[in-house]
Amino acid sequence: MKRTAFLILLTITAISKVSAQGHGPLYGLQTPTLAKGGFDFNAAAMSLATEDDQSFMLRYIWSYGVTEDLQINITTPTMINRLSEAPRTRGNNNMPANGDIEASVWYRFFSNAFGVGKRFESTAILSVSTPTEETRSGINVSNSIHGAISTGYASRTWYAWVGGGYQYYFEEGNDQLGDLPYASLVVGYRPNIFMGDYPKPDWRVFVESLAEFPGANTSEGQLTPVDQRGEKVMLGPSFLGLYGAWGISFGALFPVYQDITQGPTEEYRLSMNISYWL
Amino acid sequence: MKRLGIITLLTIFSLSGAMAQMIKVDQKVFGMDCAPCAYGLERGLKKMDGLESVKVSLNDGKAYLTLAATNELTLQKIQEEVKNNGFSARNAEVTLKGELQKERNVWKVKVNGEIFIVSADTSGDLLTKLKPGKIWIKGFVKDEEDGELTGIWEIRIIEVLKS
Repeated sequence: MKRTAFLILLTITAISKVSAQGHGPLYGLQTPTLAKGGFDFNAAAMSLATEDDQSFMLRYIWSYGVTEDLQINITTPTMINRLSEAPRTRGNNNMPANGDIEASVWYRFFSNAFGVGKRFESTAILSVSTPTEETRSGINVSNSIHGAISTGYASRTWYAWVGGGYQYYFEEGNDQLGDLPYASLVVGYRPNIFMGDYPKPDWRVFVESLAEFPGANTSEGQLTPVDQRGEKVMLGPSFLGLYGAWGISFGALFPVYQDITQGPTEEYRLSMNISYWL
Repeated sequence: MKRLGIITLLTIFSLSGAMAQMIKVDQKVFGMDCAPCAYGLERGLKKMDGLESVKVSLNDGKAYLTLAATNELTLQKIQEEVKNNGFSARNAEVTLKGELQKERNVWKVKVNGEIFIVSADTSGDLLTKLKPGKIWIKGFVKDEEDGELTGIWEIRIIEVLKS
């Protein structure tokens, strides 16, 4: 039933006038920011499957380009099914995987456009989040802050981004969710057949990888169960199609390495984004 | 009689105002890699007054602008719009008409408050044909730093269309 509801909502999302979070990868950190005065609306459907259960969530992001290098975003979730033991992860490059409401600022502090369609750029991200649930995996959940930095290369044919981030949860009622350092690496390619000029549709494929190192939770002032950091490496493909003001991206990540200290192991993550540049 | 004189003068002024303007701009754009980039730039450019048509090519890395018969657009405004979209405006091929003047041995065309200085690398043949007065030219405007646009440009004339 939950799965049916999820699919219906996914379809509604797909046909509504909404937009994904950018024109880069789905999971990995990226760099592009909106044009000065530009608006962007994204809707995403996300699912995360563990050996025990599967979460479903819709998420929305509204973004505004203050300048061509400074972008502000706010993202809100519609949780369809929460996991009782949720892995601590970022869901997308601009979205939390859990029920947090998050506001973020993207600052592209370096940009060098050095050729037709070619540029190097670097972007810093700072976010603040507040949860929509009281506990997560039995731990009181609090507000959190997140910072990330990414740098990358874009051209008409090849893309590559590398980045890293850190999320820190504050203490709440003597409990504290563990922190989350992570890193991402993305390589993208646009095949020749999709090299048609604007306004023809524009497709590209990415191979995305994500490494996460979640810290242990603190419950009633005690680290649980042990003071160890988990390790997880995810890898998978994603696809991005663009046409005029519209964009659609979808992809999956699968674990290639997992050594976690808390909670069930992950099986896969799915995500789909629809973007509309207003 | 006075009224007729005023009307004549106004007509001359309005004609001379319309005389100096850009006609066509093919603006080179660096850093534009995707359809939404082109869409955003096209939409931004279309918002400017004085344009007849805009076409953006990702593969050429260019914005092709045809300006309205009467317009007050400047190359600086066009390049600023490119920058606002997060890209870098480079050199441009422009067709413009204006009054060619020679000051201190330098040829200049003033258009909508901007000054196009004829560069020394314009072919000798073309330079010898230049004479003060109304002129219609095509040329390459050299790249200026995006953040330091002053409305003064260096242009290498490639064709004198009318003089």
